[in-house]
Amino acid sequence: MNPLLVVRATIARHLGTYVLFILLVAVATAIGVAITAQETALRTGSARAADKFDLIIAAPGSQTDVVMAAIYLRPGTVPLLDSAVVAKALAEPHAKISAPLGFGDNIRGAPIVGTVAAFVDHLSGGLEQGRVFAAEGEAVVGAASDLAIGGSFRAEHGMHHDDDADGDHHEHPATLTVVGRMKPTGTPWDNSVIVPIEFVWRVHGLPTGHPEHAREIGPPFDPDRVPGAPAIVIKPDTINAAYGLRNQYRTDASMAFFPAEALIRLYDVLADVRTLMSALAVATQGLVVVAMLAGIMAILTLHRRQFAVLRALGAPRLYIFLCVWMQTAFIAVAGALMGLLLGAAAARVVSHLITRATGIVLTAQIGLDELLLVAGMIIFGLLVATVPAFIAYRRPVMAALTSP
Amino acid sequence: MPARASSAGCGCDNRNTPRSETRTVRPPNLEVQDLLVRYSSGFGAVTALEIDHLSVPPGALLAVTGPSGSGKSTLLYAIAGLLRPERGDILWDARNILAETESARDRWRRHSIGIVFQDFHLLPELTPLQNVLLPASFERLTTDRATRARAGSLLERFALPQGRRTTATLSRGEQQRVALARALFYDPPVLLADEPTASLDAAAGLTVTQNLAELSTDEGRSVIVVTHDAALISHCSTRITLEHGRLRLGQCEEVSA
Repeated sequence: MNPLLVVRATIARHLGTYVLFILLVAVATAIGVAITAQETALRTGSARAADKFDLIIAAPGSQTDVVMAAIYLRPGTVPLLDSAVVAKALAEPHAKISAPLGFGDNIRGAPIVGTVAAFVDHLSGGLEQGRVFAAEGEAVVGAASDLAIGGSFRAEHGMHHDDDADGDHHEHPATLTVVGRMKPTGTPWDNSVIVPIEFVWRVHGLPTGHPEHAREIGPPFDPDRVPGAPAIVIKPDTINAAYGLRNQYRTDASMAFFPAEALIRLYDVLADVRTLMSALAVATQGLVVVAMLAGIMAILTLHRRQFAVLRALGAPRLYIFLCVWMQTAFIAVAGALMGLLLGAAAARVVSHLITRATGIVLTAQIGLDELLLVAGMIIFGLLVATVPAFIAYRRPVMAALTSP
Repeated sequence: MPARASSAGCGCDNRNTPRSETRTVRPPNLEVQDLLVRYSSGFGAVTALEIDHLSVPPGALLAVTGPSGSGKSTLLYAIAGLLRPERGDILWDARNILAETESARDRWRRHSIGIVFQDFHLLPELTPLQNVLLPASFERLTTDRATRARAGSLLERFALPQGRRTTATLSRGEQQRVALARALFYDPPVLLADEPTASLDAAAGLTVTQNLAELSTDEGRSVIVVTHDAALISHCSTRITLEHGRLRLGQCEEVSA
């Protein structure tokens, strides 16, 4: 048997209603897909951004605050690490790279980060253009920065450029010349201006880690002339060294942690949010299913005589069951597939907005989780479709034929 | 070719004896025996139909008349095996239809009974051809060329368009003829029609009346038609009148010329 003719005719008769149902299912599915895809993209993007930050040493306090400031370059107050600890960490023999990070200034809103040349190379894997800084007044910009190589700019105090100048806002007297551009990293560092740490220390009136009138940059630093710093990123030479250093710097004066530790806590919060959002999405989907069933039942009532007539013409009960089941299944399948596309599109848009706002490149993709979600929706829809189909299957023919 | 069966049990002759050379189907001897149909209402059980015996001879064009609520449509649907009476038999030759399983009755009704309704009950979004092909979809996944040719010939027979126009664009008379073509798809020996001309204008009603008469007289089908239409009744060979679910006079009456 083939009830497609009847299904087609019924859908054509109530096209507006069916389109509305399909859109409802699509939106409900899209919400679930977007939440899942977005959360995955956020995890992946944020984890990728933290890849190059093997071990962070900072003053005791919130690891999350340090991660947000050091990796994601978010403005915030991070206490300075004691200068003795900084000096010790910068001379750490088990570190391939030991890079101080200094924040607090910007050029046209792009955060200035002071560090050492080796970390620039580590972060970017080589430069896209130009060379790494070789003097205090030189800078390397991130791949997405609109500062041109060769251009000179004045650093402004504060993490953010502010056109409505207030009392705290002023330019430093020192000028920076852009000499290189990093390769894209997909992190907030793509919008940053990276300068020698000595520049940051000097414009804030601190010792530069070198003799007072020396203009050299980078290691080795003079332990007696090293000031405090918000954070130090260490790339240990071995895994054992990584754990050893982490233990070594867990003292009253400092904390040491792998960024993944802080991210896992963040992800736990994210997972809670996702669970909450998913629960809301499921509630939405439940409401949509109820609304859809109510609508289908109303359409069935309108068509009960038509189905009775089909039975009178010799259609088996199974034919009626299939007619109704296929109509509802069509809504479920079309809605779920459309929801997959809508959800993917929504996740991409949200990812784009987050990337623009944070610099963390998020790539929302449809993966197994989302496909399973949609498959689940379809299977659930096909099962739910049996309810009105069974009601139509059981409906007595005579009552429908003779009712007014 | 058997001659028109006797009207035993009907008590009347049939004027519309089919020409034997055009007879294409072999209609059964249809009998209703000891039939009692009741339904429950707020006031208790109500008798919808109570017929001791009714015989519809093969090839008869039988009018079922009577006031509204007298059980005419119920009789039609009982003959079609669509309801389970409290008691009684519907005999199709020697075969008791009501004793069969539902799926067997479905198959029998599909192939042996054509039904036409007052309001056509077509699918207006489909073309006339698709409407006529609808019964084929009850048991086939696809329609082959011969099946479509069969449906096409039925449309041609009733002077109906075969193009892409939907049935909704047809006149009411044309729509009823599409319903007639649909009812004849499996070439059933018995046709049941419930007020087939009631929603048509006089001209369209006359055409449908002539079509029904031809199905009986030219092809030898048994046609049972519930109607109030005097013109249609006048084309019938016999009539029965129902009152309160019972046969008036207890038998068929000859329709006077």
